[in-house]
Amino acid sequence: MTLAVGFLVACLLHVALRAATVWWFLGACQPLLLVPVAASRRHTPVGVAWWGLFAGIAIDVLSGRIIGPGAIAAAAAGAAVAVLVRRFELVGPLFWIGGALLAAVGSEAVWMVIYLTFNAPRDHSVLGSLAIVATTAAVAMAVAAGERIVLWWRSPQRRRRRELGRL
Amino acid sequence: MAAAAQARSPQGPALAVGISAVVTPVLDAVNAAGAAWEDLRVGQQDLTATVAEAKRLRAENADLKRTSQLLAAELAALRQGARLLADFPSFTDGAVLARVVAREVLSSHTLHLDKGTRDGVHTDAAVLAEGGVLGRVDRVFEHSCRVQLLSHPAAAAAAKVIGVDREALLLGGDRPSLTGIPPYTEIAVGTAVLTTGSEGIYPPGLLLGSTGDTRTSGLFTAVGVLLAVHPADVVTAIVLPAHGNER
Repeated sequence: MTLAVGFLVACLLHVALRAATVWWFLGACQPLLLVPVAASRRHTPVGVAWWGLFAGIAIDVLSGRIIGPGAIAAAAAGAAVAVLVRRFELVGPLFWIGGALLAAVGSEAVWMVIYLTFNAPRDHSVLGSLAIVATTAAVAMAVAAGERIVLWWRSPQRRRRRELGRL
Repeated sequence: MAAAAQARSPQGPALAVGISAVVTPVLDAVNAAGAAWEDLRVGQQDLTATVAEAKRLRAENADLKRTSQLLAAELAALRQGARLLADFPSFTDGAVLARVVAREVLSSHTLHLDKGTRDGVHTDAAVLAEGGVLGRVDRVFEHSCRVQLLSHPAAAAAAKVIGVDREALLLGGDRPSLTGIPPYTEIAVGTAVLTTGSEGIYPPGLLLGSTGDTRTSGLFTAVGVLLAVHPADVVTAIVLPAHGNER
């Protein structure tokens, strides 16, 4: 359920970041790639690949691209993220930033290979891929910071300190 | 006692004078206190009213500020539109002035405009912005359209460098370049690159950009091009009637 809500929020963020009033550089961001990253905490690599597939389809649809290559790329990247998160036991901010970087780099690499294989015209090249990786990692940093704040807010230590302050 | 009470002084009976002497200061004090209390009450009411008025004015001020910001943005867009129309007076007939609603400058090299088929926008219509050519419409919806920028890897336009007779082809991508110019052609940096209209999309004579580094690559001279329009700065654009349909 949380992942489904996160998926919807990521879809909304994807559209919002492309608005004319938002800084143009953020238009390259792919917040939907954070969905398979988040899924890698709960699901097996195969399950994460499914979430990656849905995220990739959403990216393709929302960006007006050919539906398919982005989905395959995000699914492959999601599975890779899940394997590496388990292998290196990534937690905290490193989980989000490392996971997002890996998801963005992996999905861009697979996407580019698919397009090259089909000899289809791509809508961006290396500079665009770099921008996607950088902006997605930046959003992952913001998510990691947000998660940190939520954890601090809900922490028993904070509650205990508040209770002691009242006494 | 009764005689003393009835004794008369120049101001009246002595008892009345005595009572008056005692009561008057008390009454004065009570009246003063009452007046002060009344003042305080009125003051408090005034203060409450003033605070409420200040709150209302603050909210109104914030609202006006927001409206002012929106109007300033609208004005900037209108100014850019007016400058655009002044820059391209020959294209005003049938052209559609549109605002940018979304942009993906780096990832998919597209812009979304707020005008679509309902406003007479067609696929492959040339899109101009302040400074020169922005790109072409590659997808049209009822109320909006998508513009493929000249920086798109698949974008191309027939072009001509001022001072060079041969027509060239402008290719998009991260580093837009001109190809089709004979080898060892010397072109000064900063020379204007204009459309020729041969591809049937862009009308001839529009500024595409200026030349950059030149090098001979195989059978042609490859010329880097610095595009005239930076899509990140575009607020308003002109969509021309489809050039190819006119012919």
